[in-house]
Amino acid sequence: MADDPQRNFRSAYYEKVGFRGVEEKKSLEILLKDNPLDVEKLSTFSQRFPLPSMYRIHVWKVLLGIQPPHSDSHALVGGYRKEQYQDVLEALEVMRYISASTPSTHVYLRMFQLESQVLPRCSETSPPDEENEDFLSISRAMEEIVDDPIDCYWLIKCFVNQFHSKFGDSLPHLPKSLEHYLSQEEPRLLNHLKNTGALAQLPYSLWFRRCFAGCLPESSLQRVWDKVISGSCKILVFVALEILLSYKLVLMGINRPEGVVKFLCNIPQENTDAIVTKAIDLWHKYCGTPMHAV
Amino acid sequence: MAREQPNVGDLLPLLETSDLHQLEEIRGLINEQLSTERGSMLLNGLVDYFLETNSAQAMHILSSVREPHDKHLLDKMNECMTKQACRLPTLTLLGHVIRKQPSWIHKIARYPLLLSLLKCLKTDTDVVVLITGVLVLITLLPMIPQAGKQHLWEYFDIFGRLASWNLKNPGHVSEVYLIHLHASVYSLFHRLYGMYPCNFVSYLRSHYSMKENMETFEEVVKPMLEHVRIHPELVTGTKDHELDPTRWKRYEIHDIVIECAKVSLDPKEASCEEGYSCSLNIIQIMLFVSLQNSACELNSSCGGKDPLWSPSSLCGMATPPSSRGMSPNLELSHSSSHLPSRFHCTSGDTFQPILQWVIVLSRIVMIVIHLELFQTGYHLMCLSFVAAITEELLKITEENQELPGLRGFDSPFYHTTETLTGCQAPEKTLPNIHGGAGGGAGGAAPGLEQTWSFTPIDHHLHRSPSAPDDDVGKYGMFSPSPCSKTPPAPIPYESFFDLALPRAASLFVGKKTTEAVHKADGEEEGLMSASPLEVLDRLVQQGSDAHDKVLKRLPLPSKSADWTHFGGSAPLDELHTLRSQLLLLHNQLLYERYKREQHAVRNRRLLRRIINATALEEQNNAMKDQLNLQSVDITSLRESLQVEQQRYRQLWDDRETVVTRLHSQIRQLQQGRDDYYTKNQELQSKLQECQKRMDELEAELQRANNKICHTGHLLNQMTIKLSNSESTQQQMSFLNKQLLLLGEAHKLSMQELHHAGPDNTKEAQMLQVSYRKEVETLRQSLLVQGQKLEAAQQRVAELETLLTKKEHLIAEQKKFLEDVKCQAKAELQASDSRYQAQRRITQLLQTELLQLYSRVEMEAPAENEEADTRPLHDSPHGNGSTLSPGQPKASNSSKVTANSINGGQDLAPPLLVEPSSLSYPHADAPLTVGSYPSAKSFLGMRARELFRNKSESQCDEEQPPPPRLAGLAHGLKTELCVEAPCTGQTAPALAPVCPTPFPVPPPPLPSTATTPVTVPSKEPASEPKQRASSQESPRRKAGAGSGGGRGQAGSGRPRQQQLKIMDYNETHHEHS
Repeated sequence: MADDPQRNFRSAYYEKVGFRGVEEKKSLEILLKDNPLDVEKLSTFSQRFPLPSMYRIHVWKVLLGIQPPHSDSHALVGGYRKEQYQDVLEALEVMRYISASTPSTHVYLRMFQLESQVLPRCSETSPPDEENEDFLSISRAMEEIVDDPIDCYWLIKCFVNQFHSKFGDSLPHLPKSLEHYLSQEEPRLLNHLKNTGALAQLPYSLWFRRCFAGCLPESSLQRVWDKVISGSCKILVFVALEILLSYKLVLMGINRPEGVVKFLCNIPQENTDAIVTKAIDLWHKYCGTPMHAV
Repeated sequence: MAREQPNVGDLLPLLETSDLHQLEEIRGLINEQLSTERGSMLLNGLVDYFLETNSAQAMHILSSVREPHDKHLLDKMNECMTKQACRLPTLTLLGHVIRKQPSWIHKIARYPLLLSLLKCLKTDTDVVVLITGVLVLITLLPMIPQAGKQHLWEYFDIFGRLASWNLKNPGHVSEVYLIHLHASVYSLFHRLYGMYPCNFVSYLRSHYSMKENMETFEEVVKPMLEHVRIHPELVTGTKDHELDPTRWKRYEIHDIVIECAKVSLDPKEASCEEGYSCSLNIIQIMLFVSLQNSACELNSSCGGKDPLWSPSSLCGMATPPSSRGMSPNLELSHSSSHLPSRFHCTSGDTFQPILQWVIVLSRIVMIVIHLELFQTGYHLMCLSFVAAITEELLKITEENQELPGLRGFDSPFYHTTETLTGCQAPEKTLPNIHGGAGGGAGGAAPGLEQTWSFTPIDHHLHRSPSAPDDDVGKYGMFSPSPCSKTPPAPIPYESFFDLALPRAASLFVGKKTTEAVHKADGEEEGLMSASPLEVLDRLVQQGSDAHDKVLKRLPLPSKSADWTHFGGSAPLDELHTLRSQLLLLHNQLLYERYKREQHAVRNRRLLRRIINATALEEQNNAMKDQLNLQSVDITSLRESLQVEQQRYRQLWDDRETVVTRLHSQIRQLQQGRDDYYTKNQELQSKLQECQKRMDELEAELQRANNKICHTGHLLNQMTIKLSNSESTQQQMSFLNKQLLLLGEAHKLSMQELHHAGPDNTKEAQMLQVSYRKEVETLRQSLLVQGQKLEAAQQRVAELETLLTKKEHLIAEQKKFLEDVKCQAKAELQASDSRYQAQRRITQLLQTELLQLYSRVEMEAPAENEEADTRPLHDSPHGNGSTLSPGQPKASNSSKVTANSINGGQDLAPPLLVEPSSLSYPHADAPLTVGSYPSAKSFLGMRARELFRNKSESQCDEEQPPPPRLAGLAHGLKTELCVEAPCTGQTAPALAPVCPTPFPVPPPPLPSTATTPVTVPSKEPASEPKQRASSQESPRRKAGAGSGGGRGQAGSGRPRQQQLKIMDYNETHHEHS
């Protein structure tokens, strides 16, 4: 890559000196210029570097398979996606599942249910269960990130589908893994949590099922989701770990497990960016930087 | 310049020279110096010089100073004002300068000089200075009206101070001064009241409402108020409005003076053309009222004294030849000349004549006012006019002019008073003499003084204990008017002359009317109404008369002893008093002269207006005449117009007849022309025939020519052939000869052979020769073979490179294929997901439908029972109807029919199972992409294209948009009839639609099946092909119908290409 005339010859040294993300945008642009997009490379890039926000949606769509790697068929496939969205939406409207006043997240939920054939009968609609709540909070977060409703729905749908199909099996093991890393990083906190009995009651569902949707503000959340979408659920563990570490002092002060849960469910929104950055560093430290050639 | 400076300074004393020529030179020099130099030195010198010597020449130069020096002059004067000694001459100089009205005078408001003047007036105690200053201020006020805004209250303060001075007399100055002071305060009062009525009145109101000022008001201000009428501004204006500078913008200086005079009732203070406007009415009313009392008396006195008198005679004489140019006067005099005549015959009546009198009088007044204008503006004209009136009048006017001539007063003010009082002046001297004699008999100079100090405020001045009471009564006797004492002079016209003057007339009448009252009530009331100026006049007159008398009586050399003889007071003091009095008189005189000049300016303007008016009137008359002339012209022109019109009509008729005649001619000519046309056409047709014939002949000629050419050509060929055959004959003969020779040679060689016999050596030689030749040929062939080998090797190498290239191409092709496959796969996945979603929707809709049906069923179970039997008969028809798209609603009518479809016919599977059964064909559909024959055919084509390095134009052809799956969804949504498409998708799509195209060339088909129609229409209707297509089409159709098919899934191939692929497949079938 060093001989590529388009790139700055200094780019190889930036990282050594400690500057990160100087040339990332440029290399991502180079990646996005390939005609059949190399999904592999894209996901590696996304794992290694934060995505520039102007390309984020595009990269997500490619990684989640909403857009094919061939840029020629983007328009066509985009049209299909749009039509499908409209068809499903119209069908739901005709069957009076939704109306104009229905909040968009619920619309997405109904559409998702319809597409996954779990839509209850109109008369038998029940209040959303745990899984639906997960979906709703993810869609709320996604709605903040994405403007276009069609893109939003597709991203939610594919994100949820991919998350369940890829990491559905590994989800139950994540709390264990968290415990492991916590014991390495801060055994005192682990002991405290164990002693108070809060460890078992930590908001695992918020962290690992909703992928921090509703917990972190969207600006930080999308950086976590970059990693999740590009194929790593371990990052969730490290974000959770970093949250615990950041609020160690507070948590040490709380003895009741309910208090711990309550605090962790409503963590302050100020320095979440720093938490996410630290979490990514930690993740790189333990899992190693994916050294795919960029 | 510096050298000249002392020279000019030295020249100043020379100004007093008596040599006129030298004086002119010096003045020119100084003026030149002033115009060239901008410094203040010379000017200051001039001012100092004036202050020292009171030189008239210096004053003249100073008062005509021009723009850049005004500042120095004013500054210098301001400086001088601060010195007590120089104050009076400075004020005098200022008065001169102001009266000159230089162009820069308006700037004075900005200089400190005005402030110091005001300050001086407020603080100074010297009466002479004060009077001079007040007069200067009065003169100055109209020039700087807008400056009043800042200094208004100072003016008022000055007025208040000086008004109270009279009463309090803080400096204990001589009463003579007080008269002067009072007169000037009176003028100031008029000026202030005329210019700023609202502010002034409010000042008076506030100032004299105070107790300590009440007395001053009663004694000084109130009598003054009696001499003014109410100012219109008091009604309409406001305090702020009258200080507004814009108000003064449209007034010139003399306008302001006249404005002030208009509100004055005192003829002495303000003699002006009041008669023009409202005051004329007042006079008329006054006359009207007073004449009722005195008209008879007047008539008797005047008419009685001169029975021959008539107004017409007066007016006739009142039109002097010199004033002939003034048409208004003429007209007036004419009109007035015949009006009085009417009056004259009805003089016996009382009321009617009075009215007419008033009219006549008013007209006379108008005339006389004009005359007055002339008198004031052009004194000489006045004189000539007066001389021209009549001999009697001449006498009187000469008397009148004498006195002003003596005194040097030309002002209308004095003049009018003199017209009234002048004739009585001789009589007036009489009581004066009496008084003087009385005083002289009493041997007391104070007595004389008391005579002089005869003023409205006289009573308060009678503090001198020496004055006896009876004296006062005696002096008061002649105060109202001498006329009352002495009967009017028996000159017949005089009273009417007086009447003709507006001011004088009113006064005269007033006097007449009040005469009796005066006689009865005493003289006190008359005193009150006398204006301070009148008093001053009398004082001056008396003074001068007394002076004359005394001087006459006394021998000249003993003049110095006079004072001791009369007064006994210190002569120096007396002299001083007299001097300052003279000065004051001079000031007063200058003030009055200034006023006269203002009037003159105004009169000149008014005269200009009159002249303009007359000119305009005459112009108007001329225009009227012109108008008349033109109207006459117009009538004559109208007549000529009528004549012209008649002539025109006649000409028109003539023209008409000519036109008709010409028309007939034209018609004839046209007929002739038509005949010629027909003839011409005939001839042309003949000509054409001839030409045709000519053409034919020409064609024949050409043919003949052709034949000739052809034959000529043949002839040439024949000649060539002939020559050829000749040459061959020659050759043949030559060859025959050779043949003969060779035959002979052969015979000879045969003979030789027979003779020679077998010879080995010769044979060996010949063998050797042939052997060598053979070797040679073999060698050559070897060479050829080597070359061939080389060529072959090269060819092999070429082919090998070609092979590698092709292999490379194939690899590339494969990669591309892979790529395309990936792309197609991704797109297919997208469409597949769409399809899945669609299926889910359909499924859901079906469940919804079922639910709805079940609800309907539940709601109408009774009806169901009845309807259950009937549909069984209709079921085949019902079934058919559901399948035909024409009437889809029929199946929708009730659940029973649906039941009959589902239950009665086994053609369609139950609805719930349907989705799964539906899925099979479509699930297969994507796989067909990858399936060999079609893919190969397509890719093969693609590969072929690439091999040929063709452009990809075929691939880029526009593809028609794939049929929308949404269409189906819409159908499902809008119509609740789901069965028709749903059931039709499985079985009917396979069975009934496909066969239709085949048997016959296609009739108009049901809407959906477009692809099957195109397939057969494209191909010739041969049996095996049809079969092939029939094998192919169902699968495609199934794909197309469900929307999951290859073509419609948008794998990027246009339909035409699909057809081509089909062709290829078919040919493939045929081959295999």
